[in-house]
Amino acid sequence: MIADGVEDEEKWLSAGIAGLQQNAFYMHRALDSNNLKDALKYSAQMLSELRTSRLSPHKYYELYMRAFDELRKLELFFKEETSRGCSIVELYELVQHAGNILPRLYLLCTVGSVYIKSKEAPANDVLKDLVEMCRGIQHPLRGLFLRSYLSQVSRDKLPDIGSEYEGDADTVMDSVEFVLQNFTEMNKLWVRMQHQGPAREKEKREKERSELRDLVGKNLHVLSQIEGVDLEMYKEIVLPRVLEQVVNCKDELAQYYLMDCIIQVFPDEYHLQTLETLLNACPQLQPSVDVKTVLARLMERLSNYAASGAEVLPEFFQVEAFAKLNNAIGKVIEAQENMPIDGVVTLYASLLTFTLQVHPDRLDYIDQILGACVKKVSGKEKLDDRQATKQIVALLSAPLEKYKDIDTALKLSNYPRVMEYLNARTNKEMANVIIQNIMKNKTRISTAEKVDALFELIKGLIRDLDEDLHDELDEEDFKEEQNSVARLIQMLHSDDPEEMSKIIHTVRKHILTGGRTRLPFTVPPLIFSSLKLVRRLEGQDESVSGNEASTTPKKIFQIVTQIIESLSSIPVPELALGLYLQCAEAANDCDLEPVAYEFFTQAYILYEEEITDSKAQVTCIHLIIGTLQRMHIFGVENRDALTHKATGYSAKLLKKPDQCRAVYACSHLFWLDEHDRIRDGERVLLCLKRALRIANAVQQMANATRGSGGSVVLFIEILNKYLYFYEKGVSQITVESILDLIELIRSEMNGDNAPSDPAADAFLASTLRYIQFQKDKGGAVGERYELIKV
Amino acid sequence: MPSRRRALLKVIILGDSGVGKTSLMNQYVNKKFSNQYKATIGADFLTKEVQFEDRLFTLQIWDTAGQERFQSLGVAFYRGADCCVLVYDVNVMKSFDNLNNWREEFLIQASPSDPENFPFVVIGNKVDVDGGNSRVVSEKKARAWCASKGNIPYFETSAKEGTNVEEAFQVIAKNALKSGEEEEIYLPDTIDVGSSSQQRSTGCEC
Repeated sequence: MIADGVEDEEKWLSAGIAGLQQNAFYMHRALDSNNLKDALKYSAQMLSELRTSRLSPHKYYELYMRAFDELRKLELFFKEETSRGCSIVELYELVQHAGNILPRLYLLCTVGSVYIKSKEAPANDVLKDLVEMCRGIQHPLRGLFLRSYLSQVSRDKLPDIGSEYEGDADTVMDSVEFVLQNFTEMNKLWVRMQHQGPAREKEKREKERSELRDLVGKNLHVLSQIEGVDLEMYKEIVLPRVLEQVVNCKDELAQYYLMDCIIQVFPDEYHLQTLETLLNACPQLQPSVDVKTVLARLMERLSNYAASGAEVLPEFFQVEAFAKLNNAIGKVIEAQENMPIDGVVTLYASLLTFTLQVHPDRLDYIDQILGACVKKVSGKEKLDDRQATKQIVALLSAPLEKYKDIDTALKLSNYPRVMEYLNARTNKEMANVIIQNIMKNKTRISTAEKVDALFELIKGLIRDLDEDLHDELDEEDFKEEQNSVARLIQMLHSDDPEEMSKIIHTVRKHILTGGRTRLPFTVPPLIFSSLKLVRRLEGQDESVSGNEASTTPKKIFQIVTQIIESLSSIPVPELALGLYLQCAEAANDCDLEPVAYEFFTQAYILYEEEITDSKAQVTCIHLIIGTLQRMHIFGVENRDALTHKATGYSAKLLKKPDQCRAVYACSHLFWLDEHDRIRDGERVLLCLKRALRIANAVQQMANATRGSGGSVVLFIEILNKYLYFYEKGVSQITVESILDLIELIRSEMNGDNAPSDPAADAFLASTLRYIQFQKDKGGAVGERYELIKV
Repeated sequence: MPSRRRALLKVIILGDSGVGKTSLMNQYVNKKFSNQYKATIGADFLTKEVQFEDRLFTLQIWDTAGQERFQSLGVAFYRGADCCVLVYDVNVMKSFDNLNNWREEFLIQASPSDPENFPFVVIGNKVDVDGGNSRVVSEKKARAWCASKGNIPYFETSAKEGTNVEEAFQVIAKNALKSGEEEEIYLPDTIDVGSSSQQRSTGCEC
């Protein structure tokens, strides 16, 4: 009878249930007719079904549960019998006539339950008798279930503090003794099970044993529920007796499971007060037992307990929990030389979580744990094991989450040392965790020293640690991580300009190692951060920052120039040009004309030498015009030089419409509302006229190449510029020129070759509406508009 | 005398680890409470006599392990349940979210004859914690869920302070009683007269 198929098992279970039901049927009839003799006969026959050896624990449990339910009815019947005058002692004798031992013992336990309730004999006498009698079953599976039945029916009858079965002072002790004895016997049956049957079925047996584990563990649950088991009794009797059984059984499965049970079923306070006893058992377990998981669960439990409230923390201090756990972990790691590295890290991570919870102020403990971890992983290659790296990330993340402050982590000397052992991928992952933590908690990092340490910590994101890795990295991911570095740079801030300047220097040092792929992400935030500092300084009195060493806008502009120059090798001329223009504007605000001029020069050089794409030219020229328009510090000469160049570039764009638009935009360079120095109506008109000429050329080209007129939109755009300057009172812009322009637009639109262009129609209509609107508004401007008779 | 079969009502308490299943049972049966967390292993029951409409019933209340690793033998004890109590902790969202899983798991494993009308009772426990300030599951949300599952009766309790525990179990008992979850009627194929039943035992003669 080897390797029974699942089908066969189903068959046997059905047969068992059928037999059980049939006998239960007769038992019910006997119960209904108060026939004790038949009730005993059929219940014994019903219970015989539990004598099977053919079922796996799961199936046997199903059968057992059915018998269990039937026995409850029998129990009620016994109770009624006694109330009808039948002696419980007689019943107790009577059931022992059952022919087979297993049914006899089930019946005995059932009557025993009623016996205890009747209080005709001390509960402990009955319990002692029952637990002894159960020795009669030495078959592991049947014995375990029988004893679990005993445990269940006696569960609410154990003499305990305040229970109705409470007797003398020593009765709680008797209850404990009873449960411990049952536990010990069950554990023996359970452990012995592995040695029964052929060796080839060992695996199946182990699986079955594992399924049966809760029957044994439940005794510990029962012990934990006895109120009379106070700390004293737990410490002196329960724990030593249980541990003795655990250690001596020398069985891997039992030891691992029961240690877990002890930790889970007994309260935290007890564990703290008996920590040494519990921990001392660990090295005595079989070498194959997964002690790290046992310890990790213990620490997890205690951490949760510590987190439940500050009032419990003194308990931890009083028993020196940290020292004991630390010591125990050290011993376990030492004893288990072959423990995989992820196990080691798991243990340290659990201890760290515990320590953060119990001793948040003891950074030295935290550092000590990290140090121990470094010691263990050093001498090995970089960690590549998935499980281990996951654990390290958890280990390193824990202090960040606890303190919500990178500062604290930066104080831990072993923190960066642990990171050293991460492979490039994990190092980056950890760096990301750190940055996210800073973002989330809005941590302010305000000294250059800390910035230096931080960038050293997150170097995985700052530079290539491993060339191969970069190749396989997804571009989106790369962008994402570099963007987070950029955000981080923006977060660095010190109120002290000196320190801020140092921070900028430090960041520059680090990001310059990042190479061409990273600089376009990291340079801009640093430039903006520098310009922010410049603007801050600009508000200050010169005399305050008079001495040599102090930070001045000029000095910052120097470094900013160098930083932008670092982009030249990449090259990203558009980006650099934009940054130069930003700098020029900042220099403008600081009244540093030569500096601003220099920045413009740099921008122009880039434009001339590097920007060759015609689309890019269009974007850049508008940036240049826009920025230049806002500059007010330039003297006439400098300004002329720069505007001259800008108009020149505009007229040289490749596409005529682009030319036209850039040229009319240049008109703004000559008329600034807020500066009466810059009001040159002649040149405004020159720009607009030039733009008109180009627009004409566009029209003609369209006629020549396609035989139809081009879009008149350009003319309408120029008309709007005319109106703008007219409104501003530029005398060179006359009513006639506006009327002529409107006339020109209308004829272009109504011409034979004109394609219909709803967008242009709408644009013109709204422009005319604007004129009307200004007329209606009246006032000085309204009067001027009145002159335009459309 | 009432039918012996109906005199016993079986109630199963389910819910995540640490929501207070054991505490609810202990409060109801023994009027005792302990603040200490002690995991339950396997399944365990206590009984309590209840009077209902002049009849005496025994309530068999099964407390279960919330942690899966302490439920190694499976859930054969669900069989024949008359009512199922689903417990969650009003301070832990996940324990509420999991109610659905517990309910479905129960219906699959216990396979009652009329799953649509099988009586459940939902209990939101630990309402006393932090004066209700740490609460994350609102009564409204819980009641809405109960309504959506066929108007499951809902109670908010504190096993610690005994609030509403008695009331909840009264409804549990009442619903268990009228659940009508009859055991399958068994009729033997043949009726042996006088002869001892055949022995099909195998294995040793113990």
